[in-house]
Amino acid sequence: MSKFDDFGFSIDLTVRNEWRNIDLLRTSVQNCFIAVFADLDGCHAIAMVTGELLENALKYGDWTNADRAMFRLRVEGRDPNIQVSVQNPLKPDDVHATTLTKQIEWLASFPTPEAAYRARMLQIAQDDEEGTPSRLGLARIAFEGNCRISAKIENGTVNVTALLMREPT
Amino acid sequence: MVNLKSGDLTIEVAVSPDGVYSCTWRGKSNERNPPEILKPWFEQLLAAVGERKGSIEMHFEKIDHFNSSTITALIKLIQTCRKATVKLAMVYDQSLKWQRLSFDALRVFEKNDDLFQLRFA
Repeated sequence: MSKFDDFGFSIDLTVRNEWRNIDLLRTSVQNCFIAVFADLDGCHAIAMVTGELLENALKYGDWTNADRAMFRLRVEGRDPNIQVSVQNPLKPDDVHATTLTKQIEWLASFPTPEAAYRARMLQIAQDDEEGTPSRLGLARIAFEGNCRISAKIENGTVNVTALLMREPT
Repeated sequence: MVNLKSGDLTIEVAVSPDGVYSCTWRGKSNERNPPEILKPWFEQLLAAVGERKGSIEMHFEKIDHFNSSTITALIKLIQTCRKATVKLAMVYDQSLKWQRLSFDALRVFEKNDDLFQLRFA
């Protein structure tokens, strides 16, 4: 029996869509996990994944409706994997919905997340257009966070989930 | 060359007598659009380095966090320095796994021209 079987953990917050909240949440998640695990590198990875998912939510979410100016962050742990999910408004016919789906498929088309990450960096280097979104975040999550990424778009919201596959300590 | 201070990020510049512009990153680079802040500062830096025919060392050992948009700005800096034939070195802390992963991946931009180097402290 793993020592992780003794407990699970769950963070579930609905938060205002303000940019400064990203770093507040990222550092809070990092500090919570430092309190749970001795593995500082792993805690940094969880925090990085949280930050990148939240940044994407704020950059690409549909924030036109002031009544829906909130996103939901969930971080859950079950022996020894950790799941980080961010849910935010997004119209299914929005270009960002299509881009997100295509990007997840593109990442999965590589033999390893590292290969996908390197390929994305080379694309960015070759892209001369100013101000084009780099969309490096998902590739970074997959590679540096050692994550499987999935997304579900329904009822005007998107839920992007990163499953971190941690090695038992 | 003036230091950069923007939000949670500081980049301190020190110039050696032989023209090495040593730039130490501290804090966090977590802005929504880091290239908006970094690009004009990099341009000033490159102009100063060009005047002295110097080189650049970017030190990341003291930085706590940067987002993926910052990595995009760094990739563009590598490209710009190479075009301008300015030597650029990035120095990181190999004992930190996140820095090791982030910077080792940038080795994809190392060529035999000696213009871009990755080093760990």
